[in-house]
Parts: sequence; structure tokens; C-alpha cells
Amino acid sequence: MTQRIIYPNDEGGVSIVIPAPECGLTIEQIAAKDVPAGKPFKIVDVADIPSDRTFRNAWEYVE
Amino acid sequence: MSKISLTGNASGTGTLTIAAPNTNTDRTLNLPDAAGTLFVSGQALSATTGSFSGDVTLGSSVLATPSGSAPSYTCRAWVNFNGTGTVAIRASGNVSSITDLGTGLYQANFSTAMPDANYSVVWSTDYWFWMPNASTNTTTSSRITTVNTAAASVDVALVCMSVFR
Repeated sequence: MTQRIIYPNDEGGVSIVIPAPECGLTIEQIAAKDVPAGKPFKIVDVADIPSDRTFRNAWEYVE
Repeated sequence: MSKISLTGNASGTGTLTIAAPNTNTDRTLNLPDAAGTLFVSGQALSATTGSFSGDVTLGSSVLATPSGSAPSYTCRAWVNFNGTGTVAIRASGNVSSITDLGTGLYQANFSTAMPDANYSVVWSTDYWFWMPNASTNTTTSSRITTVNTAAASVDVALVCMSVFR
């Protein structure tokens, strides 16, 4: 899949859900299942996620 | 001499036919010396007791019977992913996704939940150190933290997980 799911984590950063290509679920189904209950989330394109992870723990979720 | 009895069913109206294949070879079907039901192709195989011996072929896969009498258990979930750069799953089974929680902190999410959290999870990486975080294993996910020699979290290119229960 070329999409990712992002949601804010409890530490003030952002968690990124990477779907398994062969799991047979849609991105929406994965979001419903693997994003913690009550958390807001966004479905974004993989190109929107920085590949430079030098400051990964400083990334933030923006509404 | 033991005998063979064919018994009809008074409630049914269909006719059961035993048909010979197109062959020039004499063959013998040996019936088991036990009471039970014979399975046919396309029928769901279920049994509360009994065992297979030898190699069992399932589709294109072969489950080899190990030597000795100790039971073997198959993997319930597995994943192989790249935890660096653009984090991505290379291949997986019964894993719906992984969650990138931060530098060197990953979580595998199961497609179908485990019966409980008392499973054995095996994490491995191509790095020197990693710390499976058993305290966060749940029926639906398992986490790992990969660290360097200074105990600082680091991203790792090859991360694998297998779950047995």
C-alpha cells in the first residue's frame, strides 16, 4: 500500500501505521482496527512521511 | 473370515454408486479396523482424535513430520519489515500492520487476535541488540525496542517477528 495512517501518541509524538500489503484489509479497516480507540487519525500518502528519521521522536501530529 | 456389509438408509431416496476408475491395474482399498466416517475430497476434515503420520501435503506446502514424538506447533503470526527510511513491510502472515511508534520502537498488529497474551514471541534483527517488550504484549499486538550499545534507541533495517501459541 502507498498509504499510511498517522495518529498522535501519548508521548506527544506521532505514531505511523504501516499496512501489510497482503493482509486483505482496506486502509480504512486497518485504521479501525489498529488505531487505538478514541485517537484521531489521518490517512496520508507515503510520500508525505519523511524518510529522514534523524529527528523521528520530534515529529508531531498536526490537526 | 470377516465380512463386508453394505447397509441402506430407510429415510433416504438417493442411490449411492461405487464407480471404478479407468484403469488396467488391480487395486485394493484397505478399510481401517476402526469405527468412524471416511472423508472424501472437498469435505471439511475434522476429527477430535487421531493423528497423521509421514509428510502431510496441504496445497503446495508440505508439513514434514519431525522425528520423535514431541508435538510441533506452527507459527500464528509473522512479519519481516524495514524499520529505516520509509518503513515498510516486506512480507507477513496474520499481521495487518506495523506501527512505527518512534525511533527503534515498533509494534506488530495481528490480523486475527491471539487467544491470550501468553504466547511466545520471537523478535530478531540484523542489529546487535534488541529488547522485546514482553510487558506490552497483548492479544492483538507485540512490541520491540531496538537499541545500540549505549542503550539508545536506533532504527534497524531488518526486523522480524514470529509468534507461537
